[in-house]
Amino acid sequence: MKAPIKLSILVCFFVITSCYESLDFNQIDDYVSKPEITSALTYFAVKPAQFYDSNGNQKYNITDVTNFYGLQNTYIHDNLVKINVNAEIINQFDREVTLQVDFLSSNNTVVYSFTPIIVEKGNLNYTYLEEIDLASQPLILNTSKIRISASIENTGVPLNVNDTSQFVFKSSVTLFIEASI
Amino acid sequence: MKKIVFYILILSAVISSAQNKQILYDFAELPQTLLLNPASETNYKFHFGVPLLSGFSLNMGSSGIVLTDVFAIDNININDKISTMLHTLSSRDFMMFNNQIEVLNGGFRSNDKTYISFGFYEEIDAIGYYPKDLLTLLNEGNNAYLNKNFSVSQINYKLDVLGALHVGVSRKVNDQLTIGGRFKIYSSSLNIESSNNTGTFTTVLGTDNIYKHYLSNVNMNAKTSGLVKNDEYVDDPSAYLKNTFLSGNLGMGVDVGFTFHINPQLEVSASILDVGFISYSKNVKNTTAKGDFVFEGIEFQYDADSPKNYWGQIDEDFREQLPTDENDQSYISWRPAKFNAALKYSFGERRSKVCYDNTYKDFYTDALGVQLYSVFRPLSPQLALTGFYQKSITNKIHTKFTYTIDDFSYANIGAGLSAQLGKLNLYGMIDNILEYRNLSSANSLSLQLGINVIFN
Repeated sequence: MKAPIKLSILVCFFVITSCYESLDFNQIDDYVSKPEITSALTYFAVKPAQFYDSNGNQKYNITDVTNFYGLQNTYIHDNLVKINVNAEIINQFDREVTLQVDFLSSNNTVVYSFTPIIVEKGNLNYTYLEEIDLASQPLILNTSKIRISASIENTGVPLNVNDTSQFVFKSSVTLFIEASI
Repeated sequence: MKKIVFYILILSAVISSAQNKQILYDFAELPQTLLLNPASETNYKFHFGVPLLSGFSLNMGSSGIVLTDVFAIDNININDKISTMLHTLSSRDFMMFNNQIEVLNGGFRSNDKTYISFGFYEEIDAIGYYPKDLLTLLNEGNNAYLNKNFSVSQINYKLDVLGALHVGVSRKVNDQLTIGGRFKIYSSSLNIESSNNTGTFTTVLGTDNIYKHYLSNVNMNAKTSGLVKNDEYVDDPSAYLKNTFLSGNLGMGVDVGFTFHINPQLEVSASILDVGFISYSKNVKNTTAKGDFVFEGIEFQYDADSPKNYWGQIDEDFREQLPTDENDQSYISWRPAKFNAALKYSFGERRSKVCYDNTYKDFYTDALGVQLYSVFRPLSPQLALTGFYQKSITNKIHTKFTYTIDDFSYANIGAGLSAQLGKLNLYGMIDNILEYRNLSSANSLSLQLGINVIFN
């Protein structure tokens, strides 16, 4: 038999006997993507002077608040399973500082609060991790604002308004997402 | 909907390939070879293709993954398989799809030296490079990728749905040389493309805060024409089909080529196809984003006398520094030009066949040769090198076998057959024959087939 005819028969054999391996497309129903998205969150550095009002009276508590719509993104809102908030704190003050972190809804209702973070005086390497499980804290998805209050210990000795020491707060958030297709 | 998109992504990755038609090129004097080299030699008076059946071409493949990588029944967790797949693929892997259907095809000899051919075909052509960084970010997030530059330049895709009306001339200059050219008018009903994007997203350790995020040198574009009309997606397939015949976005292009006989047995030929463009002006919707943005978090001021809208300020800064814009400006898109070249050595038994003018032309029953194919794609040209053997079993039955090395495979074996039954010509060719043992794990498959009526 001539070579081209043999080859043609071989080609026909391959094509006629072609087959395919069984596939299971339903496997995709079990697929879950699990991105972990990390972002910088809030930060500040305050000096003793910021604990005095315009009349020169010392305050023991200062508070600031920001809108925060990160959890209202549809994809995040629907698929978020856990939130980790990390904080790194330097306390150069000569007294203890307590931080209160609250997550608020749009009407200023507290939907989640951290346990107060107490940073001893002179602690220059304080780290903090807050792990929030969405299964037990679903209301946190209503967060529209973050409020952080810093309170200084009343030692009986006023803060030196000219002191250049700082209380530094840095934070980040990691969102753990589990999204099926 | 998300599931459908995923399936389309996976399947398109698997059913895509280059438009190489290495078996059809310079094969058996088929009329369709004129579409691959307008200087292909023909020896008949006239021909016409059976409408809609004269030329069907489908090319499918993927340079990175196959269906069994993801959907095989192997008791491996689907999450592990997809994760492995994402890590295996590189940003140079791509998915492509090309389908061409000849609606009309005909030709006639105007004199001894000139053959004129014409026709109309519909084509769907798509290519998408795998945006590895973007998919890694979506699938794994940035938490484990400190200091990594997630690049958006990997976003590179193009889809065209078009019709091409064409007329070509083959001119025999002398016994050695034949030259040819083809003029095409394109009518595109749909174009979606994004290319030449720049920009990176990077997360690094910060100074004032724990992390700092950079969106650097961002310059992105996404162009569409025909997809959106009056702010609504066009979801009627017939609308796309209708616009492929001169009522869509128009463009023009040319094919040129030559065939040269170095001696009676040695022949060299080459062609450049689809050197042209389409001007898109109908139902255009483009989106752009350009700029830089740095985010280090929200800095509390603790200034009770002047409370700040931190989030609003960041939002405003973002829109100002990295603005996105939508417009309906017309644009030009170049067709993916293709290059073919071949060197053919004929040998074996010398036979004669009757030509259009009742003269006889000698030909050899066997031929060996090499072919080079390249298509110019957004990221880089895609190349394919083919070795072939041609055998004429009789004057009416011709065969061709190819071995091709390309982006998809180092062992791509193809075969083609052309048979003349009276005036009726039937041809068919398939590629990547070895993959037919298990189509589910095929990187690429292609076939061309058709029916012509040829008058000597």
